[in-house]
Amino acid sequence: MSKKRTGVFVCHCGTNIAATVDVAKVAREMAAENTVAFTQEYVYMCSEPGQESVVQAIKDNKLDSIVVTCCSPNLHEKTFRDNAQRAGINNFTCEIANIREQCSWVHADKAKGTEKAIKISRSVVRRVNRNQPMDAIAVSVTRRAMVIGGGIAGIQAALDIANAGIEVILVEKQATIGGRMLQLSETFPTLDCSQCVLSPKMVEVKRHPKVKLMTYSEVQEVSGSVGNFRVKVHKRSTFVDPDKCKICDHCTEVCPVVVPNEYELGLTARRAIYIPYAQAIPASFTLDEDACLGLNPIRCGKCKDVCEAGAIDYDMRPQTVTEDVGAIVVATGFDLYGPENMPELGGGRVEDVLDGLQFERLISASGATKGHILRPSDHKEPKEVVFIQCAGSRDPAKHCAYCSKICCMYTAKHARLYKKHVPDGRAYVFYIDIRSGGKGYEEFVQRTMEDDDTLYLRGRVSKLYRKDGKVRVHGTDTLTGQNVEIDADMVVLALAMTPSKGTAEIAKTLKIGRDKDGFLAEAHPKLRPVESVTGGIYLAGAAQAPKDIPETVAQAGAAASKVIALLSQATLSRSPLIAKVRPSHCTGCGMCVEACPFFAIRLENGKAIVNEALCEGCGSCSATCLRAAIDVKNVTQMQIHEMIEACLA
Amino acid sequence: MIKLQDIRDTARDMLAKGEARAVIGYRRGSRGMLAEPAFLTRPEEADELVWDPTCFHNLSLYLVHDRKHLAHARKTAGAPVAVIAKGCDARSIVVLLQEHYFQREDVYIIGVSCEGTGVVDERKLAGHLNGAQAISAAFDGDDFVFTTAEGEKRLPAREVMADRCLECCSPFPKEHNLAFGEDKTGRQLEAPFAALDRFEAQGAGERWDNWARHFDRCIRCFACRSVCPMCYCDECVVDSITFPVTTATTAEEKASRIRWIERSAARSENITYLMTRAMHLAGRCTDCGECDRACPVNVPIRLLNNKMEKEAREQFGFEPGASIGGPSLVASFLDNDPGNFIR
Ligand SMILES: Cc1cc2nc3c(=O)[nH]c(=O)nc-3n(C[C@H](O)[C@H](O)[C@H](O)COP(=O)(O)OP(=O)(O)OC[C@H]3O[C@@H](n4cnc5c(N)ncnc54)[C@H](O)[C@@H]3O)c2cc1C
Ligand code: SF4
Ligand code: SF4
Ligand code: SF4
Ligand code: SF4
Ligand code: SF4
Repeated sequence: MSKKRTGVFVCHCGTNIAATVDVAKVAREMAAENTVAFTQEYVYMCSEPGQESVVQAIKDNKLDSIVVTCCSPNLHEKTFRDNAQRAGINNFTCEIANIREQCSWVHADKAKGTEKAIKISRSVVRRVNRNQPMDAIAVSVTRRAMVIGGGIAGIQAALDIANAGIEVILVEKQATIGGRMLQLSETFPTLDCSQCVLSPKMVEVKRHPKVKLMTYSEVQEVSGSVGNFRVKVHKRSTFVDPDKCKICDHCTEVCPVVVPNEYELGLTARRAIYIPYAQAIPASFTLDEDACLGLNPIRCGKCKDVCEAGAIDYDMRPQTVTEDVGAIVVATGFDLYGPENMPELGGGRVEDVLDGLQFERLISASGATKGHILRPSDHKEPKEVVFIQCAGSRDPAKHCAYCSKICCMYTAKHARLYKKHVPDGRAYVFYIDIRSGGKGYEEFVQRTMEDDDTLYLRGRVSKLYRKDGKVRVHGTDTLTGQNVEIDADMVVLALAMTPSKGTAEIAKTLKIGRDKDGFLAEAHPKLRPVESVTGGIYLAGAAQAPKDIPETVAQAGAAASKVIALLSQATLSRSPLIAKVRPSHCTGCGMCVEACPFFAIRLENGKAIVNEALCEGCGSCSATCLRAAIDVKNVTQMQIHEMIEACLA
Repeated sequence: MIKLQDIRDTARDMLAKGEARAVIGYRRGSRGMLAEPAFLTRPEEADELVWDPTCFHNLSLYLVHDRKHLAHARKTAGAPVAVIAKGCDARSIVVLLQEHYFQREDVYIIGVSCEGTGVVDERKLAGHLNGAQAISAAFDGDDFVFTTAEGEKRLPAREVMADRCLECCSPFPKEHNLAFGEDKTGRQLEAPFAALDRFEAQGAGERWDNWARHFDRCIRCFACRSVCPMCYCDECVVDSITFPVTTATTAEEKASRIRWIERSAARSENITYLMTRAMHLAGRCTDCGECDRACPVNVPIRLLNNKMEKEAREQFGFEPGASIGGPSLVASFLDNDPGNFIR
């Protein structure tokens, strides 16, 4: 191996680096390195003249590798690798030494900062010495997409992608698409009917030639990576053929089983065979296998007897379907924080204490009471209703630390709708403060307070319990400093929004991260808000963070456009920096197989084998292997060893 | 109580019927009372087998050797090897199976329960014998009975048992083809990690001083590594001397052999070796105690490995060798790990 000719380019980043690091000294020290043939410092290496000087220096000095000591490789690794390529050398012989985020920004003492910058730079110079030139791997792209979750977010994303001519598979866990929005009555700030806006979109999804709808289905397994995912979807059996079902309702009339209706949040009951809502898509009944007496004509079989359309098939089996897609949008939505976690607010066991979604069903024209507000315990119209905001939100000590963002708005909406239905009723709202940022939102809240004469009480509720047929609410009004006691006919809790149940599992299946509150994590909070940390997987809707419908729809559109842009490329280039096994050292223990988050390794004849198409070069295997038998290219154990040595010297 | 005759009969039977290629067990040794590993291939040798409190060797080591010999001779296994395994030894076999070192059908585990006691710690025993040499040792209920030139000496097992046996809660080999002795899972003569806890009760300075003394003493004979069934690597990462160079070894490969440690048995190098080894045994060491026993200069290696075991148990609820199908410690993570970085 002939001696390397490395060029080192030290960036000042204005004063970002130069103020804490003696850049000239770094350059001098690097010049003394055995393999360094050229050094240069410049005020903004990433500026146009800075980049040009790198290209020129490579050509003039016949450099075969470069180290740019500047900011994080996240920012400019690509920039400088492109420059290396422009200058005619292999782009993988360019490495970044981060002396900004990892040095100048976190230190104050210039002498020590300089010393550290020198160590960091030297270690990268040593690393580059052993870098191999490499070519990016070109992979073809599967021009199909999958959307997981059929709420408004998923529906919107699927339609946007399909309208660009790309085939989409929409996977929904429930028997119908629509998600939470289908449960809402009217929506702030315009008070238009939720189902009326949503239904046409649901029908459009169903009819769209480019959308393949899979309801009652869940993603089981995902392999592959950006551009080429392979997804296994498990479709549960509905035991009813949606194409034959005429929605005549004869089956429910005979079904002897009664269970709480989850779509009505337990406010009403349904039969073992049921349709979630009149607007359900697919428009078909579903037989709930767990509730049914046994899918067996001998035990019951009543529904099958009355079904004139012959739509019921007790022998229908669940199916597992494998789909190849190039990109995935995750829109698995939200659930409400469990009231059982809040003994101070009744722990979910006090009658006539409802959550926001239950109240939505109560005032919805399609709900159990046909839009009449009647309280569950005695079906009487409640004359005094207490709404409690931030139930479970903004309470880092006991519940969720974050603000659920939409509760101020929907509580105002609830209060107004309540007054519309019960003009002689009285609505109280307990709040911490009102957050009504959004077009027309503040005006909406003001109208609720003024026109609808809702009494807003600033303070928390300390306890509530049932007393004399009412719910006694103890709270404080922090503005007057007085304790308040209200005997309410009904209480509505604006429970915190949490990631939907199963978010942890789906995140694990897809190998995407979650944030500290369990919502799906975006790749960058500001610059990449709809991308997950895994390439080719995008996020939309309340699964990423609490948000209302307009924001959900906007994010869904953004995710769709990312998918369209990705799938418009003919090929993608993959990093060649992937794992490589040294068979002579491998004992076939299989720890790397377990450690690999991308299922890229298998054992064959007692040795580990890396699947190059699946490996992401994360290095988990290399860190796990006890025998140093598996390395990531250009980040080999030897390189790491020498980098450590350079740092310790 | 285990009847020795049962073990002998089993071995004889298996060898006679060709159900085992060999039986690895214990025989009376040539050094005083101590048993030594025995490799039987003929039925008539079965009567050589013994079972007493000096059967401390972890015989699963020889299953590893057997594999290496087979690989070297390019032979396939054929009939299984039968091996006598105590609770801790059987757990070692489970770890080896987990790591695909051999297949379950390649080994026939003749489990022996340590019942109420365990194996003897020679150093502890020496303190009780006042210079006398024991000629033999036997189990008797909660006692060990030693025969010396002066006659019989009966000692409560607890007083001369190895620390690890005192702390052991699973002296019964859960994974076995055949097992002798009572299942005393859950028995506990001392709290788990009691010896480690005693050591850790010292201040940091004291602990460091102690370790410095121990590390200084290590002569890097590698007895600990050689006796350990888990240290089966063809090339140990800390040991660039045994780097296998074949005709296929490229110049690049030769050039990129890392010298993690220098040859000299200096403190810094010894630390690197013993710490690396402890890390490599996290989630794999089943506390068979062999390294600790084999060390000629009394480095308390067990404390290092025990520390890893304790952390693994307390942090992740992980117990090495609990089940063949289970995940390995270093290659798995918990979804509900409190550390955000991992999600
Ligand atoms: C009481 C209340 C009132 C509200 N009122 C308003 C309002 O007036 N105006 C407004 O703008 N917003 C309102 N919102 C907010 C609105 O409901 C949300 O913004 C919107 O529903 C978010 O849509 P989504 O598609 O992200 O999630 P969701 O509606 O939760 O849909 C997610 C879908 O994904 C499915 N799913 C989940 N996991 C999986 C899986 N693993 N596989 C497949 N499918 C899965 C679910 O079954 C569901 O169909 C209100 C919210 C509440 C709680
Ligand atoms: S962890 Fe190392 S030794 Fe074990 S199978 Fe993987 S590469 Fe081979
Ligand atoms: S570097 Fe190793 S662990 Fe990471 S994806 Fe590749 S094979 Fe898997
Ligand atoms: S710890 Fe003991 S057995 Fe191990 S190498 Fe050192 S001296 Fe040898
Ligand atoms: S490290 Fe020591 S105690 Fe642990 S398995 Fe190896 S030899 Fe046994
Ligand atoms: S110390 Fe590690 S690398 Fe060395 S033999 Fe033991 S397990 Fe293998």
